Amino acid sequence: MLCMLLKNTENNMNKKIINPEDATNIVKNSIVKRRSKDSRLKLFGRVAIGLAVCFLLFLFYSIFTKGYPGFFQYYVTLDINFDRERIDPKGDLSDNSLFDGDASAIVNESLFFIIEPKGRKEKKLAKKIVSSGKDVRIAKMVKDDPGLFGTVTKVKFALDDDIDSFLRGYIKRETPESERRISDKVIGFIDKLNEEGRISYEFSDYILSGSASGNPEMAGIKGAFIGSILTLSVCLLIAFPLGVATAVYLEEIAKKNRITEIIEVNINNLAAVPSVVFGIMGLAIFISIFGMPRSIPLVGGMVLALMTLPTIIISSRAAIRAVPPSVRDAAYGIGASKLQVIFHHVIPLAMPGMLTGTIIGMAQALGETAPLLMIGMVAFIVDIPNSVVDPGTVLPVQIFMWADFAERMFIQKTSAAIIVLLGFLIAMNALAVYLRKKLERRW
Amino acid sequence: MNSKKNDLKSLELTVGDVFSKNARLKARNVNVFYGENKAIDNVTIDIGSREVISFIGPSGCGKSTFLRCFNRMNDTIDSCVIQGEITIDEENIYDKKIDVVPLRARIGMVFQKPNPFPKSIYDNVAYGPRIHGLSENKEHLDNIVEESLKRAGLWQEVSDRLSSPGTGLSGGQQQRLCIARAIAVSPEVILMDEPCSALDPIATAKIEELIHELGNEYSIVIVTHSMQQAARVSKRTAYFHLGKLIEVGKTKEIFTRPKHNQTEAYISGKIG
Repeated sequence: MLCMLLKNTENNMNKKIINPEDATNIVKNSIVKRRSKDSRLKLFGRVAIGLAVCFLLFLFYSIFTKGYPGFFQYYVTLDINFDRERIDPKGDLSDNSLFDGDASAIVNESLFFIIEPKGRKEKKLAKKIVSSGKDVRIAKMVKDDPGLFGTVTKVKFALDDDIDSFLRGYIKRETPESERRISDKVIGFIDKLNEEGRISYEFSDYILSGSASGNPEMAGIKGAFIGSILTLSVCLLIAFPLGVATAVYLEEIAKKNRITEIIEVNINNLAAVPSVVFGIMGLAIFISIFGMPRSIPLVGGMVLALMTLPTIIISSRAAIRAVPPSVRDAAYGIGASKLQVIFHHVIPLAMPGMLTGTIIGMAQALGETAPLLMIGMVAFIVDIPNSVVDPGTVLPVQIFMWADFAERMFIQKTSAAIIVLLGFLIAMNALAVYLRKKLERRW
Repeated sequence: MNSKKNDLKSLELTVGDVFSKNARLKARNVNVFYGENKAIDNVTIDIGSREVISFIGPSGCGKSTFLRCFNRMNDTIDSCVIQGEITIDEENIYDKKIDVVPLRARIGMVFQKPNPFPKSIYDNVAYGPRIHGLSENKEHLDNIVEESLKRAGLWQEVSDRLSSPGTGLSGGQQQRLCIARAIAVSPEVILMDEPCSALDPIATAKIEELIHELGNEYSIVIVTHSMQQAARVSKRTAYFHLGKLIEVGKTKEIFTRPKHNQTEAYISGKIG
């Protein structure tokens, strides 16, 4: 039958059109092939999505399992005798007076009382068990509540990062003493503290409220978090109005000619320029020519704004182009001026699309490290920035720096910081979705 | 003098009486080009005040293009060039001194596809008066909106839901909303570009009735594909073919005794 069909078609080659019965047969014969192509495409699509989901799940699993312990750390509880004479010699709670005080010695005495170190060498080792932030912690406590003076109160102190790593099992007891970072003596002290029930594993009060620190147990991401918020705010304030204005001008006002075409091509090219190039440009222009200080979120935001501008312009133009021409006709037809058409109709209708593009750009900017290294935001800054002109750093740079440090505990801190960064990102995207829905709901 | 001569030249092409005694809009020797392409070829016609005139002709004959010349909607198309002269009350609308914004307030337009703004019914009608500053206060604006909706025959249907979206109305209601929006700025002329082509017969009948009523107050130019519609709503009819104005005359005469053989061919269904 197929043979006949072929013969038929051959005969029909000379004719211009195939007769309907033959056409039906040909279609019927080819349908199986076409259907299998369809189902193959479907299968490929499903496999691709499945793989993507697997990778994503694996990514989240590994980051969360690694990063989750980073939010916790080991503490030791000590009975502190809040002796005003020794902690606050001048008695006025001033920083000077507290600094002159002897809080560290009080903590050490309390510690020695439990673990009973013998001799100068052992005492020296024992002193290192508690993190060096102990005096700062006591100073803060008495400042918040001067009523503590004269009492004996249980206070929790962070343990040194090596001890922390030992307690987590990263430093093993079985390893020969010469090859591990803590000595048998110190392990003995820790066992003693454990017996007394003095050691606890708790949510870290440094990770979310501390800033960069050389001591891993005291390092936190607050400084970088605030830095990120400040930098992104500057970026948004510059890039959004500028990007939208450019898109509106190119789509609605400019005549389509050679010059606008060249501008268009260049904007599209800029979107593909590696971000580090923008960093070098920022360094050359903002810092070298304009003489702005290094490491400040203002310059960082400006550099990131340059980087996100093309993304915002391109998506805004697409959003403007998607506004139905009938709405423009209606507005022009009733006598609206160009400005009124743009501000009353085009921008409100294009806003959801523009916002999506902006959030994508912002998310990109949030995760950007390279250009910020160029303008010096990689500096080790302990102070939390209060304004856009205070030196600061941002989350991805902080992650980059921590990942580079030798101490074992920074691995957890790095993962914890990544979780915070991802949380920030998800929050931003959620905001974008919310804004979109809200703006689109107006019919 | 020169323009008189040109008039005559144009008359050679056009059959019937292009002039009107109390003309509001006058088009003289209008040519429209889209790039190289000539869309309108030397058209001369008057549009009287309080007159309903329909433009008929086969698809692509340029009737919509010509209609859009009257409120300069073709300005928004970059490649479009217009030659000749169109005057409203003896003022050339293509004069450099003329601002297109007040012109479009004088000459309203209703489009082929109903295109209410994605705003409330109230805001749709109030938009024109607002941007032109036609209302003194909120109360006055309310009155304008109510009056416009009444004239457009929509008030009864929407008076209880003025704040609901205009895009939620039915097609016919949307088109009447667009008409209300156009008359809210008190224009002198209303241009209608196939206003019923997207509507069902019942909605069409309502719009036609409305056009008939509005014809007592405004000059209305309506482009239509339906000859029956032209016959029902207009007093004068102009027949376009391939960018040329072939014949103008009283609607009755055009449909019963066309003078030009092309008109006759179109009316009797031989072309178009």
